[in-house]
Amino acid sequence: MIYPKKISANNGEIIIKIFLSVSIAIAIILTIINKLTTPNVPWAALANSGIIYIWIVVIYSIHRNVNIAGHVLLQTIAISLLTVYIDYRLGFHGWSLSLSIPIILIVANLTMLILTIVSYKKYLRYAIYQLFILLFSILPAILIGEKIVTDPIMGIIASGVSLLNLIITIILSAKDLKEAIKRKFHL
Amino acid sequence: MSEAENLKWRKLDNSAKIFPLSAGRKYSTVFRISAVMKEEVSPVILEKAVNIALEKYSSFKVKMKYGFFWYYLEENNKKPIIEEEKDYPCKYIDPSKNNDYLFKITYFEKKINIDIFHVLTDGGSGVVFFREIIYTYLELLHPTVFSANERLTRKIDYNTEDSYLKNYSKKLKGNASSKKAYELKGKKIKLGAISAIHLIINMEKLKEECDKYNATVTQYLTAVLIYSIYKANYIKSNSKKPIKVCIPVNLKKYFPSKTMSNFFSYITLEANMNKLNSSSENEDKLFDNIIEFVKNDFKSKLTEEEIAKTMSANVKLGTNFFIKAIPLELKKIIVRLSYLEIRKYTTITFSNIGRIGIIGKYKEYIDEFLMLIAPEPVEKIKCSGCTYENKMSFTFTSILNDNNIEKTFYHFLINKGINVKIESNGVLDDISKKD
Repeated sequence: MIYPKKISANNGEIIIKIFLSVSIAIAIILTIINKLTTPNVPWAALANSGIIYIWIVVIYSIHRNVNIAGHVLLQTIAISLLTVYIDYRLGFHGWSLSLSIPIILIVANLTMLILTIVSYKKYLRYAIYQLFILLFSILPAILIGEKIVTDPIMGIIASGVSLLNLIITIILSAKDLKEAIKRKFHL
Repeated sequence: MSEAENLKWRKLDNSAKIFPLSAGRKYSTVFRISAVMKEEVSPVILEKAVNIALEKYSSFKVKMKYGFFWYYLEENNKKPIIEEEKDYPCKYIDPSKNNDYLFKITYFEKKINIDIFHVLTDGGSGVVFFREIIYTYLELLHPTVFSANERLTRKIDYNTEDSYLKNYSKKLKGNASSKKAYELKGKKIKLGAISAIHLIINMEKLKEECDKYNATVTQYLTAVLIYSIYKANYIKSNSKKPIKVCIPVNLKKYFPSKTMSNFFSYITLEANMNKLNSSSENEDKLFDNIIEFVKNDFKSKLTEEEIAKTMSANVKLGTNFFIKAIPLELKKIIVRLSYLEIRKYTTITFSNIGRIGIIGKYKEYIDEFLMLIAPEPVEKIKCSGCTYENKMSFTFTSILNDNNIEKTFYHFLINKGINVKIESNGVLDDISKKD
């Protein structure tokens, strides 16, 4: 014999499929209970958005290489969308845009800043994610400029932190940033 | 750039660009080379050998990264994973479960396998790297026998240039056939299993038979393959579509190149079976017609000019600015959709990588080499071959739930008096027990 008789099944994928099915079943049950009991309060939609958020994070963690900067970018986008959705379902008072997103961006920028300083030798692998976080950080400034946000204080702080992040990054790792752009955007 | 993480990177070659765009669990675009040794494999020694060989052939020490327009390869500092064979051959290599490597080394009893994602290289260069692993493995396993180290004088001379770009001509136009190919009929094997059936053929007898028809081994076996498809599958379908056989061609035989990246093209034979069968009164006449057609088609298509035309047409596609400027995610969608159509233009692929040369005493420790390529939902069977010493291994890798084509092929050779030994992975365990 030159081949093994038993081929092992991919248990990991089977487990993922089981959990995914359970999650979908829970989401459907929650929606039905919500509609039957308290149709005026959209709590099932909020719970289901939480389930979707968890799955985005789980699938990303399984299929992508473990890169802290990649996780920071994913969490920044996913949590931002989640808070906007929750705000929208609760009557859209604007707290997601004026408070949540700026706070998330401050945390993301500070995390990336710490990563850049602490592990600058590995910076090349973080560069492109940091670039996207910096681009995403323009959002509060746009929201303030367009007067969509009524309370701009946190937005201004977020823009300041991201500007500081950008300056320090350029000072420390301009060459790496340039190299990352060359690799990622080659034609 | 920071000194500690100055990871080298390179663009994908022109052929490699397409593989990650279309690859997935169903279309793995993975090929395997196996060496059946005469002794049980030592995993510890094998791991050492792989690490040493990787230092010499650093073009394999890479991981694939996303770019905005294209994927690219970057140096990988992790150790490759060496493990016992536990899956079907040529399955999709998930880099996240393989320390980011695009090749996978496995072993089973006396056999060592390397599964290679085509993005890295083609069969010819894959053999070069695998042979280095086998040489190093034997040197470490038997240090007294190989103490003189016969290979010290052999210089490793290669690069990773894109030889397509260096050798293509903007003026040449391709002449692709517009006819769709006959698609093999039959139910697929369930649960993602892949059947592998190896026919270990005695070269002397095979050559004698080839000489009768004044044909090369590849031409003869291609003719037997077309005959077997016709008899075992085509005849039941009443199809009028041609049986189209894709034959990969090693471009290093036609253009100067030392690259370890992909550098291959292909020719496609188009056998119109209604025409070939209409004038044949008996079985032998049918085969005679087929082999004459194969020889003529090889003669007209396997010329430097024709090969350059096909290569240039493909390169022009990859170098087109508008195609280059499409974002990667959009490219993936476009390529996957267009491949649904493109795949309908081939019935089967037969890749013969030819002789695997092994030097001196090393031969005493190796029984045979095997070559396998991954079948796909449309090309449900793929064939591959390689020759070692006086044995040629012809392999069917299949997801078709019957082995009628394999059986017909086997019986044809046996009836011609050619000695054939069968090995298989037992997925379609029927003819595999015959000797």
